[in-house]
Amino acid sequence: MSLIATGTTYLVEVRLRAEFADAAGLAALAQLQHAGFAAARSVRVSSLYAVCGLLNQSHVQQAAKELLSDGVTQEFKLLSGAPVLDGMNHWRVEVWLKSTMTDAVGESVRRAMAELGLPEPERVRCGTAYRVLGRTTRNVLERAVRRTLVNPVIQTFTVTEAYD
Amino acid sequence: MTDLAPLRQAQPVEEGLRFTTLPPKDLRNLSAKFGWSLSDVELEDIRAHFKKVGREPTRGEAETIAQTWSEHCKHKTFNGPIRYSDGKKSRLFKSLFAETIVKATKDLSKPWCLSVFKDNAGIVAFGKSGRWALAVKVETHNHPCAIEPYGGAETGIGGVIRDVLGAGLGAKPVLNTDTFCLAYPDYAGPLPEGSLQPGRTLRGVVAGVRDYGNRMGIPTAGGGLWFDDDYRLNPLVFCGTVGVLPAWAVRKSVKPGDLVVAVGGPTGRDGLHGATFSSAAMAGRSDRAAVQIGHPLNEKRVLDALLVARDRKLYRAVTDCGAGGFSSAVGELAKECGACAGGALVELEKAPLKCSDLEPWEIWLSESQERMVLAVPAKGFAELERLFRAEGTNCTVIGEFTGSGRLVVTHKGVKVADLDMGFLHDGMPKVERRAVWSDGARPKTRPPAAYARGAGAGHADRGRLSGILTRMLAHPNVCSREWVIRQYDHEVQAGTVIKPLQGLRHDGPGDACVIWPVAATSEWNDRSGFAVGHGLNPSYGKLDPYWMAMCCADEALRNLLCVGADVSKASFLDNFCWASPEAPEQLGGLVRAALGCHDAAKGYGVPFISGKDSLYNQSRDEKGRELGIPGTLLITAVAPVPDITQAVTLDFKGPGNSLILVGVTKGETGGSLLGQMEGEGGEVPKPDPKAAGKAFRGVAAAIAKKLVLSSHDLSEGGLGTALAEMAFSGEFGASLELDQALTSPPMLSDETILFSESPSRVLLEVSPKDDLAVMRCLKGVPARRIGSTTANPVIKVSGLDGSIVLESHLVDIKAAWQRTLPELLK
Amino acid sequence: MTPARQPRTSGRPKVLVLRAPGTNCDVETALAFKAVGGEPELVSIADFKSAKVRLMEFAVIAIPGGFSYGDDVAAGKILANQVKLYMREIRNFVRLGRPVIGICNGFQALVKSGLLPFSAAGEQTASFTGNDSGRFEARWVHIRLNTQSMCLWTQGLPEMIELPVAHGEGKLVLKSPRHLEELKKNKSIALQYVSDDGKLLGYPHNPNGSVFNIAGLTNPEGNCLGLMPHPERFTTRHHHPNWTRQTFMKEGVGLEMFRNAVRYCQS
Repeated sequence: MSLIATGTTYLVEVRLRAEFADAAGLAALAQLQHAGFAAARSVRVSSLYAVCGLLNQSHVQQAAKELLSDGVTQEFKLLSGAPVLDGMNHWRVEVWLKSTMTDAVGESVRRAMAELGLPEPERVRCGTAYRVLGRTTRNVLERAVRRTLVNPVIQTFTVTEAYD
Repeated sequence: MTDLAPLRQAQPVEEGLRFTTLPPKDLRNLSAKFGWSLSDVELEDIRAHFKKVGREPTRGEAETIAQTWSEHCKHKTFNGPIRYSDGKKSRLFKSLFAETIVKATKDLSKPWCLSVFKDNAGIVAFGKSGRWALAVKVETHNHPCAIEPYGGAETGIGGVIRDVLGAGLGAKPVLNTDTFCLAYPDYAGPLPEGSLQPGRTLRGVVAGVRDYGNRMGIPTAGGGLWFDDDYRLNPLVFCGTVGVLPAWAVRKSVKPGDLVVAVGGPTGRDGLHGATFSSAAMAGRSDRAAVQIGHPLNEKRVLDALLVARDRKLYRAVTDCGAGGFSSAVGELAKECGACAGGALVELEKAPLKCSDLEPWEIWLSESQERMVLAVPAKGFAELERLFRAEGTNCTVIGEFTGSGRLVVTHKGVKVADLDMGFLHDGMPKVERRAVWSDGARPKTRPPAAYARGAGAGHADRGRLSGILTRMLAHPNVCSREWVIRQYDHEVQAGTVIKPLQGLRHDGPGDACVIWPVAATSEWNDRSGFAVGHGLNPSYGKLDPYWMAMCCADEALRNLLCVGADVSKASFLDNFCWASPEAPEQLGGLVRAALGCHDAAKGYGVPFISGKDSLYNQSRDEKGRELGIPGTLLITAVAPVPDITQAVTLDFKGPGNSLILVGVTKGETGGSLLGQMEGEGGEVPKPDPKAAGKAFRGVAAAIAKKLVLSSHDLSEGGLGTALAEMAFSGEFGASLELDQALTSPPMLSDETILFSESPSRVLLEVSPKDDLAVMRCLKGVPARRIGSTTANPVIKVSGLDGSIVLESHLVDIKAAWQRTLPELLK
Repeated sequence: MTPARQPRTSGRPKVLVLRAPGTNCDVETALAFKAVGGEPELVSIADFKSAKVRLMEFAVIAIPGGFSYGDDVAAGKILANQVKLYMREIRNFVRLGRPVIGICNGFQALVKSGLLPFSAAGEQTASFTGNDSGRFEARWVHIRLNTQSMCLWTQGLPEMIELPVAHGEGKLVLKSPRHLEELKKNKSIALQYVSDDGKLLGYPHNPNGSVFNIAGLTNPEGNCLGLMPHPERFTTRHHHPNWTRQTFMKEGVGLEMFRNAVRYCQS
């Protein structure tokens, strides 16, 4: 697998439907509060998949529906461009493994997509998005994230003031 | 393969650079630049070697030598000469390891030691049939865990599992253990840039062991936790694995002409000591360490395919790719060539890669995880390949073993290395180190940093001693480990017959787990099992590492004894973690500990079968001062449980039973929990192996006669915590009379009798009708009936003057014991 | 039962123990079947892909626990897709009344491939999310069996049993409350997590927060069972955490479940 991809990259976000409790989100919330972001009110976690290869949108749509998401508990969407900015106190933290790190899940997804009869992607990387609600400043949030959810040794992350 | 086209000229270390004529200063700079950490003497030796050969070394050769000669691979300190002085006597060790630990094993010459100190793991006989053996290995993964706890712990446990897979012809792992030494999770003091808060480190390493061990389908059912703020920059993470292999598969061999086969994951730029990457992205100290996260699925694939291949006898030898990657794996296997000179020819372009831009020497030295190397007779390769491919993992021929005595590595016809095996493995110059131990300079009663944060369970207990007991049970070094243990699948393989958590509500602190490895043997009617116990107490080591070693050995054995294992057939593993051995005082402590290991092995009649050391565990703190860890020794003991249905747990089984205390209680509160909490001093506990051995035999005899209802060893917090743990685990109370305890000197305070940590003691619960029979088993052993269990859920202790000095409700003390970790890790 | 529903078994019914990369309770599950007179065979899912193995030759199918494909994406998800793709006959196998059991990861795969809760359409109506505690947990739990259920695996067992669970994504959820009513009506809720006195209580008695404390589901006919607890880890009394306290137990109740299936095939 080459690190330099030649195909198109699609970004899929898979999240738990709002009616289901998000245990991972609650755990992240407690940690963020403990790490100095006391005003955090809720965190919801979703999975991100960056799928790159000679694929078209409907291939990725099919993979998202049949492999990456659960029909009962989750919903998914293909992301394009920056998330919608819609106001105060809504944050989005995206965490990705550095490109030099082995991505075991990505590898499984790559193989499993081929088994669904789809073109095998050149590479799949997995990430996590935390949708955080709470009044704070970017600095406080970034510091809290660095202390809890992210290790810059193996991961990169972005914080955007956005929610959708 | 042997008909190679003539090789093109090898690449020198660096374009236009002449290693053999470089001035010493430039040579040193070169070593620093490439991160070789070779000493001046070593560099000169390499220079001399290549002068003799008459050519320049290649980059691949220099890297291979640097790797092979590293402290990590060669254990220079332990194997090298040390001049030791303790103020009165001095002694020259040619090799500390050979003259202490190995010597004891040799002297003992126990028949169950099938393979010691030479393979990836120690191998001992197992079971009654003679058909099986156990491979046992414990090692540390400290530095990566300091930087990235989750990935570090994952790759640590992954590595030790591969060690056991690569022991003999491969053992099926049936148990993992993990022991962590960390700063208190609520440490809130200053930390230097890049150091993680200890609570986060603890969460991370637990999650790493959990996610890797659980996915491998190996129960993690033993280990420990120790907190001391001096571990804040250098946490210690010990991972252990026990595997079962058939007795016929203990020996490896390699024949010239066998294929060098790499199996498992692809090779990437992982774990290279890479200041060398020219890439601009490299910045900061942490990036250079190139920590990886694990890929347990790949390792599981290797495990499953490998064991089938082993039973079909498709390969002759196997080893794992650890430090040094292919270079050390192939190098080690090439040495197995028996009578012939050994050697190998490797063609690196054949290795499956993660990324295409690797330099040939990087492929050769990469430490990518989840890879192993096999020596495969050519005719079986096709079948082997089918097996691994069916599991969905790689199986690739990357070369051939030869009888040439040379390690030849090529990449697309260009020579990467061509080294003499003899020089590579035995050519390393020995450097003498100096070690001093000055007993007088050490504060006898150094007050250890008291654990004050969150101290005081805050509820009014009757009497001072009751308060101490409650605080002891709530102390992080004693409290319930349930928060950790429940996250590990400690029952997968359906062989954990004595679980780490025991008692009425499955939450008491068992002394050890007992494993019935039926998933490995498939012998449903064979009730043979084994137990694994641990001894670790850096607090004693601060007073005297020699007695720390003795106490650790004693405790590890007592853990086994208390679950019903046969400690007369036990084996030890040692794991030393120390600060820099270049400081003579540090090395002095290390020598003391090694001497303690020797004397413990001889004294208890228990051989060491494997071990590891991790030195240089020190870092600069936030003010730039060097902070070293307390000298730490983990002794792991493994012993057979001949019939698992005879095993014993610690929980009280009923009211009205006798409590028998085996062993003598002394005023040994030095380094004890009481000492730490109350700031008191005292003597470091000093076991007497001869007396202890006799007591252990007596207890074992009583257990074998099914006379013992429950048993528990006395460790941190002494009699008080042991009694409390047995009581709340079984939900029966107890009443105790301290004047019945055998003490030396005869008069000790109530407090000392309750909380002294004198070694070699166990507390037994015995039906009153069996009192006499048990005392007969304990003939000649200091043992006394000191009380009885009660239906009333209270422990009540009457002191020397007959008055009640301690009265605690089980509900309260259990709550205090259980609350600590969940609160610290909230 | 008509003979056509069962393959001919000469005493020892053939049990398919399904393996995939990452499966890790296969050996002990096979041992349990063997101990009660079954003839287990470990078969890799890849063998169905290459059509090397025929499903209908087996009398029993067991999908054991573990982390198939590392539980990457979600627990049991990739295996569920493969079961749908390469083991199409399994629906027919269930319809014919042959015993099927999915344990832990196997249960997750049965649910995510739409085999449980069983419906004619094969639509997935239940799923699993992370435990409420947010962590993987291994512990012994009390289970109440549904005495009304047709489940052949649990016939004759005491109403209250104990078994260990060990999972991180074990919280069973249903697509809608309507599905819960349906499950109740069809007597498909075979096992529930309860307290030691039989009450439907929360954590830790319900170790993961499953809806209505559901620990195991069966099809209405009772031949296909999926459960989160591990019966293969309670096949001798020495597996019980308290065997050193209790002397009255004969053998593990888990073994009885496997014996029920083997006997069913033999009858």
